Amino acid sequence: MIRRSVLALALALCAAPLAAAPADIAEAVIDRHVLPGFARFEAAAADLETAAEADCDPGSETLRTAWGAAFDAWLGVSHLRLGPTETDNRAFALAFWPDPRGMTPKALAGLIADADPMVDSEAGFATVSVAARGFYALEYLLYDPQFAAPTPYGCALIRAEARDIHALAAAILADWQGGHADLMRHPGPEAPYKDEREVLKAFFTALHEGLQVDVDLRLGRPLGTFERPRPTRAESWRSGRSLHNVTVTLAALRELAMLMAAEDPASAAALSADFDRADRLAADLDDPVFAGVATPQGRLRVEILQQAIHEIAEETRASLGPALGVAAGFNSRDGD
Amino acid sequence: MMKPTLATCTLALGMAGTAAMAEAPAAEAVLTTYADIAAATYGDALTGAERLQAAVDALVAEPSPQALDAARRAWLAARVPYQQSEVFRFGNPIVDDWEGKVNAWPLDEGLIDYVDAGYGGPTDENPLAAVNVVATPQFEISGETVDATEITPALLAETLHEADGVETNVATGYHAIEFLLWGQDLNGTDPGAGNRPWTDYATGEACTNGNCDRRGAYLKAATDLLVSDLGWMAAQWAEDGEARAAVMADSSAGLSAILTGMGSLSYGEQAGERMRLGLMLNDPEEEHDCFSDNTHNSHYYDGLGIRNVYLGSYTRIDGTEVAGPSVSDLVAAKDADLDAEMKTKLDATMAALARLKTAAEAGFAYDQMLARGNEAGEALIMGGVNGLVAQTASIERVVDTLGVGDVSVEGSDSLDNPAAVFQ
Repeated sequence: MIRRSVLALALALCAAPLAAAPADIAEAVIDRHVLPGFARFEAAAADLETAAEADCDPGSETLRTAWGAAFDAWLGVSHLRLGPTETDNRAFALAFWPDPRGMTPKALAGLIADADPMVDSEAGFATVSVAARGFYALEYLLYDPQFAAPTPYGCALIRAEARDIHALAAAILADWQGGHADLMRHPGPEAPYKDEREVLKAFFTALHEGLQVDVDLRLGRPLGTFERPRPTRAESWRSGRSLHNVTVTLAALRELAMLMAAEDPASAAALSADFDRADRLAADLDDPVFAGVATPQGRLRVEILQQAIHEIAEETRASLGPALGVAAGFNSRDGD
Repeated sequence: MMKPTLATCTLALGMAGTAAMAEAPAAEAVLTTYADIAAATYGDALTGAERLQAAVDALVAEPSPQALDAARRAWLAARVPYQQSEVFRFGNPIVDDWEGKVNAWPLDEGLIDYVDAGYGGPTDENPLAAVNVVATPQFEISGETVDATEITPALLAETLHEADGVETNVATGYHAIEFLLWGQDLNGTDPGAGNRPWTDYATGEACTNGNCDRRGAYLKAATDLLVSDLGWMAAQWAEDGEARAAVMADSSAGLSAILTGMGSLSYGEQAGERMRLGLMLNDPEEEHDCFSDNTHNSHYYDGLGIRNVYLGSYTRIDGTEVAGPSVSDLVAAKDADLDAEMKTKLDATMAALARLKTAAEAGFAYDQMLARGNEAGEALIMGGVNGLVAQTASIERVVDTLGVGDVSVEGSDSLDNPAAVFQ
């Protein structure tokens, strides 16, 4: 039986240390991916808050650009669903999507209809439904015709959204800098991470979940089925960012994957080639909001990109995970 | 190509070091207990559905306030074993592929029957959201005319359920029946469940809201379907059933199925989708059993099911116990501390879910807990969420310790090809 022989082999080879020291890999991920990523996000969110204070017209190009830059910075860390992003449900508040029941426009319309005074304070706005908060709610306010006319309440709402996003970004960064990074640097039997392998497993799970979100949600939702494609289920189609978001997340996931594969040249080379291929397919797609899923040819091109990202995930499982001695853990996408 | 890995080292050394520990049960015995618990749980769910069927038949034959009340009580009782079966869902494709027939949620209930004006009409996502089949013998789905003159189980299962590929077109299962027994809960985040009058099933002049005969036919068709669907699933776990055979075929994959079910239900599904998301949206319609206000029980018995399969013990609805060698025994033999940790976490979750259930039963409705700014409600719900998240970390350690491979992708839409680390 294969199992027996593998165990025997493992016993025989255990004494030989892996080339990859788990602690070094974790340090590199924290110092070169996690902390700089959240610092960039905090800075971009601060710029967004400033831009909204300066000009709260939904059509303002400066404001839209600042929103886009902050969204990019968030997508660069959005796969890191652990620790500080989960505290107080911060990631839920930053990024409520997908929204199959159309809660976001409903919740926003509700706030506006009531002229809800929660927009007046940061603490008050933090109690509002997550459907009315974060990047996707702000996208509605900036790009949906329903909210296009500048009004005093709309202005206060846009400023509250931007302030809230910045407060969340600042809180996440502060928690990483003020404790969570150290927790991951110093695992121990009594600590939340029991050993270095649990730390690597957390990052590996994040990598895997990030790829899964691209495959299942960003590409899978608009693809729908062959008989019934669903272009309006694409992420951020109002701002024309659907494909762009895939590209931005792929860059962030590549950065994480390469750091984790640093001591394993074979995995690194294979993953690098896989990411190159996905990037090339995305660059050549020329379908910014996946409208093409409604035609057989357009659909095929989106499916090929989806398959390429699926292959990255398979590669991480087949080579990188075993090399690191970890498999992905449970993630928030398990279930329905 | 097989590489020696840290995981295999941990496993191999772990096994080498087990001499002093309690003797581990055979994996086959643990899997048998699991399949026995599944058979008993689905068997009890079937019994509960049959009792519901009898109560529904009585309501339709002779409508009265008492008959509606009896049917509602039968529904609530039927949920107790069913919710404990949800732990079998994510690890077993045969269950996961079937589950949508009986427990799909949330639903656009306007597909089935009349709704309040505030419900709205068709939506961007669902053109059929307000069809109202009870009042409409003929309508169109994606351009095709549907003849619903007769409301039959086949119409519900084959034509209406997930019509137009929209998941919220839930035409069958517990929640469709729940809606037909309780009606919409229009109390928002205030106390109170749906308040459908018994006269919605009355005959002749007494009939309220129209089409009482068709409503009765729908309720009966949905209940009959639930009984036949649960009967099918119970059979899959019988001695010669397919689900049992699949679990028993490979001990590593079987254990992986158990732990995948425990972890996916704990984390992504219950802590995330069902509890935290509803809270963060402040939306009473995000309640799992929203028409009947039974959500606290739904959460509680989901949690209990997870503990049942770890401890290898299920208390049946007739009070007898189904028990045998367990995952817990298997873990204890390898790492007694981890087994203790796992049990402590499961107990902590059950204590938190019991607090939520107790408060709800004392009159603090789940709807109210979800209300914006209700800090006590938020603390109760987050207590359950935190317990479930914490136990997931321990389940992952159990996965590692038993060396059963990759549990990460089960239940995902596209990446559903779990490969064991050792393959």
